[in-house]
Amino acid sequence: MSDKYAGRIERLDRTRWRIPREAQPGMQVDGVIYATERLIDDVIAGGGPSQVANVATLPGIVGASLAMPDIHWGYGFCIGGVAATDVEAGGVVSPGGVGYDINCGVRLLRSDIIADEIRPRIAELVDALYHEIPTGVGVGGPLRLSRKELRQLLARGASALLSRGLAEAEDLERTESGGCLEGADPDAVSDTALSRGNDQCGTLGSGNHFAEIQVVDEVFDEAAAAVMGLARGQVAVMIHSGSRGLGHQVCQDHLRALQSAPRRYGYQLPDRQLVCAPVQSEEGQRYLGAMQAAANFAWCNRQVLATLARRALEKFFGESSGALGLRQVYDVAHNIAKLETHEVEGGRRRLCVHRKGATRAFAPGHPDLPEVYRELGQPVLIPGDMGRASYVLVGTEQAMAQSFGSTCHGAGRVLSRKAAVKRAKGRRIADELARKGIIARARSRDGLAEEQPEAYKDVEDVIECVVDSGLSRKVARLRPMGVIKG
Amino acid sequence: MGKRCETFDHTADVGLDARADTLEELLEALAQGLAGVIHDPAGVQGRETRGLRLEADDLETLTVDFLWGVKDLIEADLFLVREVRVLRADEGEVAAEVSGEPYDEARHTFVGEVKAVTYHQLEVGQDPEGGWRARVILDL
Repeated sequence: MSDKYAGRIERLDRTRWRIPREAQPGMQVDGVIYATERLIDDVIAGGGPSQVANVATLPGIVGASLAMPDIHWGYGFCIGGVAATDVEAGGVVSPGGVGYDINCGVRLLRSDIIADEIRPRIAELVDALYHEIPTGVGVGGPLRLSRKELRQLLARGASALLSRGLAEAEDLERTESGGCLEGADPDAVSDTALSRGNDQCGTLGSGNHFAEIQVVDEVFDEAAAAVMGLARGQVAVMIHSGSRGLGHQVCQDHLRALQSAPRRYGYQLPDRQLVCAPVQSEEGQRYLGAMQAAANFAWCNRQVLATLARRALEKFFGESSGALGLRQVYDVAHNIAKLETHEVEGGRRRLCVHRKGATRAFAPGHPDLPEVYRELGQPVLIPGDMGRASYVLVGTEQAMAQSFGSTCHGAGRVLSRKAAVKRAKGRRIADELARKGIIARARSRDGLAEEQPEAYKDVEDVIECVVDSGLSRKVARLRPMGVIKG
Repeated sequence: MGKRCETFDHTADVGLDARADTLEELLEALAQGLAGVIHDPAGVQGRETRGLRLEADDLETLTVDFLWGVKDLIEADLFLVREVRVLRADEGEVAAEVSGEPYDEARHTFVGEVKAVTYHQLEVGQDPEGGWRARVILDL
């Protein structure tokens, strides 16, 4: 349903709203939605809360069925949803809790390039990026992989690109999970899915995916920004993409394979898109193995995209990456299910944490963080729309305590694509952006119209909510200078 | 009545709403509708024909799988659709011929990628008012 939510919802505090478990039959836990006063009306109108309630019925779910302030309606699970299930207690894994674009995520590179110095040439720089990075439907990437090579990427993630000179050890270190989920099982990935992956590593895709030249326009935490190499006025490159056709197909294959699982396990599910199986069952393990393989493919994709972006900048400036100070800040996944250990009701539990349109935000000191960020906490990358801003945040103890170490993932749509295209009729979105000093290039006819700034919530509102609730701290704000899209 | 397929708005995405006299025509209308979401039909000629045949346990799954087949034909094989002819279809099987041609950057325009044909609020069956009707939501 994308209709307005009409069920019970009550305010918990300034930034949290509760759907009590009595609100709907079968709910195992409460639903908790993060939203400010300003956001809540849109949240309720968007139909996400009924999906939060549906997810609360999943077997083995612990804590609460959570939604971040960028919540909007999705397939089965809402976008912005976080759901953790207890692996040992029959907890389930659900492809709908990850979504079709497995390990869609964001990567950020920083540089020593001064934004003001390149502003007069920004259009040429965007063209250079557009020339180097394949975008849109039907455009292959720079690698033609044999089946064997592709399977290596699926099994080993971005580390498989080291020997090809397409990744540096530092890139892997500064990638969530080191750019590789263990347990990935290429044998659980169908032939159709594999054939989609042959030429799609290093392609941006279409829809809301982008590569952006940005300027660090505000620093909120000097010390944290310094650790990340971010300073006001410097140029950064942000990449937003996922596992492409390979991941979409893995999701579909396993949604189909799991159709009969709920009946076999005696689950009563309110939505066919919520199909699931116990993490420890054979079907559950097969989906997890395939999902992990697709996630690894996505990390390879963003790794190659970043390499292409580096090459574009190297050619444009005639200098090496090293001389330009181009280094990876971090890479996050925001559509993924991960096996993590968290504190639940006073005990340490092995959980399957689904984050669908939500970002991991681990606190300082977490052992899974690389040394460079161990004291600081995990960098969190939040892309905004192409006319406004993106944010760099950092994870907190509060996030560990409240949201299984999770926070928001973006601005969240408010206009449908059709409505956005309609609203753009008679306008030239590229010219409007250019007047704001943002150069945009897109391959498809409606790409810019669909993704125009008005199609999204203001990311500031979303950020304000996660910062107020303590799920993250602000480090820096980035403004777009140039963007390429599919 | 013949056959027709319109798109409707769905939150971030788009849906297909098709009506036809027969199941065969309904699947044809859906397939053409889907193709129109991925690429501009203008300038696509029926130079070649590709076969699409599959089986499923129920009509809903058959419909979703059939549309995934069309989507793969376009997005993976880069074969653009001029016309879809469903030779026969029932609750468990469909056989179709797709005429079209390989993508040519100079003459063809992609509109956008379809990530998925979903099961969400999927409706397919005989319309109480006569003929057949389907509603399918696409994840873009």
